[in-house]
Amino acid sequence: MKIYKAVILIIFFVIAGISWIGRNNMSERTHLLKFVVPEGWPQPVYDFKNNPLTEEGFQLGRKLFYDGRLSKDGNFPCASCHQQFAAFATYDHSLSHGFHNSLTRRNAPGLFNMAWQKEFMWDGGINHLDLQPLAPISDTMEMAENINDVIQKLRSDEEYRKMFKAAFGDEIINTQRMTKALSQFVLMMVSNNSKYDRVMRGEDSFNLPQKLGYDIFKQKCASCHAEPLFTDLSYRNTGFPVDSFLMDYGRMKITRNAGDSLKFKVPSLRNAQVTFPYSHDGRMFSLLSMMDHYRKSVVKSPTTDSLVKNGIKLSNFEIGQLTAFIYTLTDSVLLRDTRFAPPGYEKRTQQAPAEHQHIYKQ
Amino acid sequence: MLNFLAVVVLLLSAAPDFTNDKIDHTFIISFNNKVGNNDLHLDSQNYRNSFGEIFTVHQFKYYISNIELRDSISGDSEKFPDKYFLIDEGDSMSKIISLNTSLPHITSIKFMIGVDSLKNVSGVQSGDLDPAKGMFWTWNTGYIMAKLEGESPSAQTAGHRFSFHAGGYKKDENTARVVVLKLPQQQRNNVMIEADAAKWFDALHEIKIEAAPACHEPGKLAVMLADNYSEMFSIPQNK
Repeated sequence: MKIYKAVILIIFFVIAGISWIGRNNMSERTHLLKFVVPEGWPQPVYDFKNNPLTEEGFQLGRKLFYDGRLSKDGNFPCASCHQQFAAFATYDHSLSHGFHNSLTRRNAPGLFNMAWQKEFMWDGGINHLDLQPLAPISDTMEMAENINDVIQKLRSDEEYRKMFKAAFGDEIINTQRMTKALSQFVLMMVSNNSKYDRVMRGEDSFNLPQKLGYDIFKQKCASCHAEPLFTDLSYRNTGFPVDSFLMDYGRMKITRNAGDSLKFKVPSLRNAQVTFPYSHDGRMFSLLSMMDHYRKSVVKSPTTDSLVKNGIKLSNFEIGQLTAFIYTLTDSVLLRDTRFAPPGYEKRTQQAPAEHQHIYKQ
Repeated sequence: MLNFLAVVVLLLSAAPDFTNDKIDHTFIISFNNKVGNNDLHLDSQNYRNSFGEIFTVHQFKYYISNIELRDSISGDSEKFPDKYFLIDEGDSMSKIISLNTSLPHITSIKFMIGVDSLKNVSGVQSGDLDPAKGMFWTWNTGYIMAKLEGESPSAQTAGHRFSFHAGGYKKDENTARVVVLKLPQQQRNNVMIEADAAKWFDALHEIKIEAAPACHEPGKLAVMLADNYSEMFSIPQNK
């Protein structure tokens, strides 16, 4: 009896010792990344405890984000629709290109400040950031791939096996780890370094049109495009009639409630200068046309938002000032941050690729 | 670490007394899928529902979770909160669930068909809950709790296919159902549960293939299917 207890105690101490050593090794392997909540901002809703940010996880997410193998034919990485120079929207495209000459059904939104969002997509159908990539991967008009096939492709790549091990401790590759790594990469895209932010921090000042624009903004736009995210993340019908081809009724598809017909998530105005065209299907090609819509062409229906139902009164002068203010929301630090560029960008050569060299020799 | 300590303490306290019949052992639940009185054979066999509609079954899958074993003799029960099993007629290994319990005589079993709402709102899971298992809606987050697919001349669709994917976890759309089954005799080691796919059509609501050949989103039809499949389980008398 006593011997029995003694043996168990010895085993206990041995295992405790091993796990202690193992713990130390683990923390040497990964390097924690700090997520900084900008001063005065609300607390993020993403649960970082379940997915601690590490340099290794971030770099894995970065590789995945730029890897075409996540799509069926290899041509459509996440980055094909989410371009850094467009604040991770698709530059100058109402709809984005997908597999086999298809077009997506909605305008690709910019990716930034995702840690503060609890629902995703224009209709809010997805309830967790980690789940978000699975929709475009499996959509036949986007990446058109099967999740299992993506996982198989990653498993057969030695580089990925190494990177998953570095990020998560062993070589197991599954949907959960892939999506957590993608989340880590996307979560770090915090947009808080626009001129507006510098002004708010007292590091810069608006010129006159920007200042006047900010005043008009606070009066006529801020109840939906609320600071500091420049969206209140609500769903609203802003008076766009349904497109007869897309037949997209937005939020109603998710809630099956007629009261949600034609409601879409309020998009952030941050980086709006580079995320044009606007609206859920990209039917508005410029800020001017968007603001013109609010003053002239809002379509009244039972679900049209009360704040825009009767139009927003805007003079040409005010539209000019508002435009000047909205341009101060462009975060050139985010757009140029090399951490979010394709893997290996830091080591790029300044020379044209070999296959282009003959052009220069002529 | 704390878990490990707890295990050691448990071992130290439980180990010396081997005469107690309350010792850890395996309890096996096996699922036998049927259509009415017939065994279920995928694709190869024709069945008939109570409306006379002829059909074959191509896929039959459902989640079993939140299992609780009960011992009415001692009054004890054991819960298995973090175990999720995808029962798939096409994968015979998936139809056998193995649980570790200390209950000596199990008299009833409680479980959920489907996945509780918490796991529907907690991001990407692994194992049987991996979205890559195909029991997940990516565009409108949520698990497909149970799936019955097949062909029927009554289905006015491409290939005469019908597909019932029942899911939804929100209020008024919940398709997870709790089932309690009494065992005919107390058991220590195993129990066999029968699941009758024919109940999907008529247990509590009449669902004709002709009228509703497809369910691919949460809502009224999915809830009706859930009400029906909540009635599909039974434990046969030992013969």
